[in-house]
Amino acid sequence: MLSLWLRRLSTDRIVRLRDSSPSPRVAGRSEERAPLVVTGKRGNVEVLTAVDEAAGRLGLSPGLTLAQARAMHPGIDVVAEDIEADTVLLESIADWFLRYTPLVACDAPDGLLLDISGCSHLYGGERALVADLSGRLEHAGFAYSLAIAGTIGAAWAAAHYGKPANHSGGEERALLAPLPLSALRIPPVTAASLARVGLKRIGDILDLPRAPLTARFGSDVLRQLDRALGHEHEPLTPRLPVAPYVAEQRFAEPIAREDDILAVARRLARRLQFALERRGDGARRIELTLFRTDGMVRRIAAGTSRPLRDPDDIRGLFVERLAALADAFDPGFGFDMARLSVIVAEPCPPQQIGIGGGEDEAELCRLIDRLSARLGARRVQRLTAQDSHIPEAAEAALPAQAVNGDAGWTAFRRYREETALSPRPLRLLTRPEPIEAVAEVPDGPPLRFRWRRALHEVVAAEGPERIEGAWWSEHGGPARDYFRVEDKSGLRFWLFRAGLYRDLVPGSPAPTWFLHGTFA
Amino acid sequence: MGLVMNAQLRQRLLALRGTTRTAPGIGNGFGVLPAVLPLGIAAIDTMLGGGLMRGALHEISAPAETHTAAATGFALGLAALGGATRATRTPSPRRGEGWGEGVLPSPLPAPPHPTSRSLSSGRASRGPAGSVDLSPLGRGEKRSVLWIAEEMARAESGAPHGAGLDAFGLAPERLLTVTVSHRRDLLWGMEEALRCRAVGVVIGEMRPGKIDEIAVRRLSLAAGESGALALLLRAAPAADSSTAATRWIVGAASSAIAHGPGAPRIAAHLVRNRRGPAGSWILEWSDSDERFILATHAQPVAAPAFDRPHRQVA
Repeated sequence: MLSLWLRRLSTDRIVRLRDSSPSPRVAGRSEERAPLVVTGKRGNVEVLTAVDEAAGRLGLSPGLTLAQARAMHPGIDVVAEDIEADTVLLESIADWFLRYTPLVACDAPDGLLLDISGCSHLYGGERALVADLSGRLEHAGFAYSLAIAGTIGAAWAAAHYGKPANHSGGEERALLAPLPLSALRIPPVTAASLARVGLKRIGDILDLPRAPLTARFGSDVLRQLDRALGHEHEPLTPRLPVAPYVAEQRFAEPIAREDDILAVARRLARRLQFALERRGDGARRIELTLFRTDGMVRRIAAGTSRPLRDPDDIRGLFVERLAALADAFDPGFGFDMARLSVIVAEPCPPQQIGIGGGEDEAELCRLIDRLSARLGARRVQRLTAQDSHIPEAAEAALPAQAVNGDAGWTAFRRYREETALSPRPLRLLTRPEPIEAVAEVPDGPPLRFRWRRALHEVVAAEGPERIEGAWWSEHGGPARDYFRVEDKSGLRFWLFRAGLYRDLVPGSPAPTWFLHGTFA
Repeated sequence: MGLVMNAQLRQRLLALRGTTRTAPGIGNGFGVLPAVLPLGIAAIDTMLGGGLMRGALHEISAPAETHTAAATGFALGLAALGGATRATRTPSPRRGEGWGEGVLPSPLPAPPHPTSRSLSSGRASRGPAGSVDLSPLGRGEKRSVLWIAEEMARAESGAPHGAGLDAFGLAPERLLTVTVSHRRDLLWGMEEALRCRAVGVVIGEMRPGKIDEIAVRRLSLAAGESGALALLLRAAPAADSSTAATRWIVGAASSAIAHGPGAPRIAAHLVRNRRGPAGSWILEWSDSDERFILATHAQPVAAPAFDRPHRQVA
């Protein structure tokens, strides 16, 4: 377990931002820069939440009020805190370190936990991994301390309070004993009350009888101790779900060309294919993670409409995704690592290849996947019949990748036969549009109406077809009387009057008319 | 015995097909589509040279934006005829005779075609191998219809309504709808779909405006390669030139009956036809036959001087 503590995340973020900004006024060498402090409101007081190295040397520390700090050193540079930006930065650093292990957890507000068990040999041992990681962090300008230990608790304590070093499993006792109790990640209040009775270091409570401790300070203290010592398991919650199938490749030279990236995707897919075949799975959602040399991470995901294994099909998906991204896909100085992960896998029954409808079916799935990858899955739809009698709710257009089978139309046809449903329009407006209509008799069809500023004289009408609103629901709306009308030029419309004259309360306005659809 | 009858029947079918066909069947899959899609109305089919050419782009525009539904109806009717018929339908003997596509062959003796004889004999001599393109229910039963529309067009004219489509002979489960925000995506999507073997008809719907001629040419080529029917549905008649095989202006027509609106009825004007003259008809979608029929003229429509389609039908 590797615990990483970014000691000055907020100030490092601000300094990095200023360094990259082109304006000469704020850009400057660090020696010339005024001590930087970050402030935020705690209660009613403006207090320092973070200080940079120079400010730290001046004796400023987080928790000091701003007024006091200003009184001590009037020349300090004060910046308001931005917790959201800090979180975003921490998450992007977490993504950056996905290159070492898929199990990266954010340890808010300024730490990361990496489960590197079983991964370190890929870098030539823990020492080499730490060297690689530290190099990258230093290059990016972050102050950090890190430690490796057998448990999360021990690694955290060592990173925050101890000397940065490697500690293998079983050494937790020796490692923890000299550290203060707050290294156990217990609330400050508990730590303070422990200190009042003279228990200041972890070594002080290591061999104490457990029952009185629990009785006095709660079970929290001992649980944290057990976790740090490895007597109790502590789960790590990775920031991103861990993919069941992963293949990755590092490059000696960064790659930037689209063709190269696609070739790599295909090669990785080929590797995944064997693993997928062995377990009888196919990919439903695939993600290509590209690690840029400067630490930026690009994640490109694509969905499929059926479990997929074929490397060429997978490559085809990313062709469309990259085309859709176009300029937003910025390779910078190139990518030095690529990873292909199957995020969602589903059993994929073996299929007979040959003469038959299956070929066409597969072709259609491929088309749906390509269109969805390029345009977005929500734009490629199939109509499904829903269980409702209200026209706009009777059908739903759902992403084609998610719809299988006949989508309820067989049931709909049976319903139509049974109820002798009156004709339905060919095109339905997304929402009914209000019209000004004049009817001869209150309950009858309109004589003329105005829709989108054009007047239509009704020459023929059919109806009404009464469709009740969802009376069981508060948002059901009134009953509607639908009419099929034809105007002078032969246009046919589907109109309705929302509300019945029968239900009208004296004094309320007359029911309004709407146009809902058009017939051929 | 059965084999002999089968062979004879096949000969006859091939002969029939050879006479009305102007080009051999097209298609890159196992199922070969006939080269034309007959509307089942002799007057129109003769003008079109047997029917609407498959593997080509056809433009259908509404005279004004309010008439979009009528133009949509025409396009969907063609889509329903062109292979995406309801999967549950049993072919009646009358219909099954022709193409296995659920459409009527032209009842007229079609104009003799120079290649017809060599074509039919060449195909017949292939023997049993020739039977691939004669599967009793054409591949059309399986093919999908892709309707790709600009977002604004859909917002303006309404989204396809499955219950209405079903009545128009197009099973909603065969329909894929796609919305795009840019015209170039529309053209890209149409081209992709045309290249897909599983799609029989591609309808592209766009708002009034110009369209890139090169893109239209590309669509025509893509359709030609796959044999699919490409329909471009436009909300207003286009002023630009185009490489489309036919151009139609389709608006609504008043139903003749006095009480209540009748069956879907449209006024179809063929304004450009690469293979023959232009013309105007009033068509009605017949729900029971699931095809267009020539409507009794509510208003007199000028027919071309040399052709009197309504007499032949009557």
